[in-house]
Amino acid sequence: MIAIIGAGPAGLAAARAIALAGISVTVIDAAQKPGGQYWRHRSTVDGYKATRSEKYFSTVMGNPLVTYINGAQVWSATRSEKSIHINYLQSGVEKILACTDLILTTGAYDRSLPFTGWDKPGSMTPGAAQALLKGHGVIAGKSIVISGTGPFLLPVAVGLAAGGAKVEGVFEANSPLRWLRSPLALLLNPEKALELLYYLKQFRRYSIPVRFGKAVTEFTGHSVRISDVNSDLTIKKANVQEIECNGIAAGWGFVPDITLGGILGCNQVVDKDGTVIFSTDHQQRSSVSNIWIAGEATGIGGSDLALAEGHIAGLSVIGKRIPISLLFSRFRKELFARALQVSYPVNPGWKKWLNRETLICRCEEVTCGQILDSVEELKAEDARTSKLFTRAGMGLCQGRICSRNVAEVIGASKEVSVTDSERIAYSNRPIAAPISLGTLGDGISSK
Amino acid sequence: MNSKVNFTFNGTRYSGEEGQSIAAALLNSGVTSLRSTRFNAEPRTIFCGIGICFDCVVKIDGVANQRACLIAITEGSQIESSQ
Repeated sequence: MIAIIGAGPAGLAAARAIALAGISVTVIDAAQKPGGQYWRHRSTVDGYKATRSEKYFSTVMGNPLVTYINGAQVWSATRSEKSIHINYLQSGVEKILACTDLILTTGAYDRSLPFTGWDKPGSMTPGAAQALLKGHGVIAGKSIVISGTGPFLLPVAVGLAAGGAKVEGVFEANSPLRWLRSPLALLLNPEKALELLYYLKQFRRYSIPVRFGKAVTEFTGHSVRISDVNSDLTIKKANVQEIECNGIAAGWGFVPDITLGGILGCNQVVDKDGTVIFSTDHQQRSSVSNIWIAGEATGIGGSDLALAEGHIAGLSVIGKRIPISLLFSRFRKELFARALQVSYPVNPGWKKWLNRETLICRCEEVTCGQILDSVEELKAEDARTSKLFTRAGMGLCQGRICSRNVAEVIGASKEVSVTDSERIAYSNRPIAAPISLGTLGDGISSK
Repeated sequence: MNSKVNFTFNGTRYSGEEGQSIAAALLNSGVTSLRSTRFNAEPRTIFCGIGICFDCVVKIDGVANQRACLIAITEGSQIESSQ
């Protein structure tokens, strides 16, 4: 029995490859509807190449070979020599799915950097603004500013403007000239130029101003303050502009969700940009036999790469030959993913924006000053020790939002770089979703 | 297109579209805070929007610590701020 965790582009591409070969597969996903974080439109389809998803939805959903388990929060998984058990919660009831082969496509979420006021209502991730808009038909704010880095800021800005928000500006921290460093990636991915042209046209249509080398460094609740930033993200000139708005969507790339693969013992590595990802072979196999991994969890690369990786993983699971054309498709999309890393780095200078009062851990309300004090006065050597003193990263989100930032703030204060083993340690957690002991007990006793 | 769903938040009646999350329906109704933080009593609402950050947790029909960004509104449900 083959199972796939995740029904985003990678998971759906894998399921499609398996089902088209006439083999049954189970797809298990936390959301009510398929599509993951990427394809989350409600009914009417708009946005760049949005109709592409229909091909996947229609082959996968309603196919007798595909069992689709939705609204299922996988909280843990165990494996023995013969099988893998996936533990999940559905409508508050604990259930178990057993499989022999597993494809993990657990995706990613926005990376956030702290700044003064990022904890105030109105401040959110671009992913949240996108989810509100596409998933629920709600615009995040009447007037909104978008800040951070990366190509994801473009569809979010266009979506908000099309939805009726006044997008006051997109402040991209990095220079577009950085793309000149990746000529081969651009040459091999000419369709990306068309995508860019599409967005440029939309930006003109909605009169959305775009500024480079700038970032929002403060949100007051009713306005943002913009600073000029250098290429290392240190502030060149603080508070050069103040814009009245009721929302700020700030995002700095993505963090892969690697918890489940970590629990199952799949080998992780630290990517060039400090992101913890899984190592996989050319067929998307993880270090653990019978577990394949595809999509953002093997390196942030966007939906195109996720589709290719999912397709390859699906073919590999059922022992089919991988066509050379598909391997080449993945190769050129990997090159593009590398180019994204080169073009949109999150360089270390952001820590200079912080002051002692800036909140770093949202859950436990731990400030930058408290973390620095744990290092200076309490002699915390690393993020783990600091966490025990300050509780930074010990709240409900289990450090998903702040743990990387805590480690990097401490590293910077001690003028050392964060080690790979520390990065892998802060990126993993013992359970993938909170579950009460009561629910857990009920699940077991009813077996 | 979608039918209207009525619910209460901290005793006040609100409505949203069927299928909308609690956080989305309340944001759309002008509610800017879902809860106050434990230590500094600061207002909080939706942040990550996809169930990662737990900033939007509320009590739904007596069950605490539910993520308002993930759970759809249901007719007659009583939602309260967690703290």
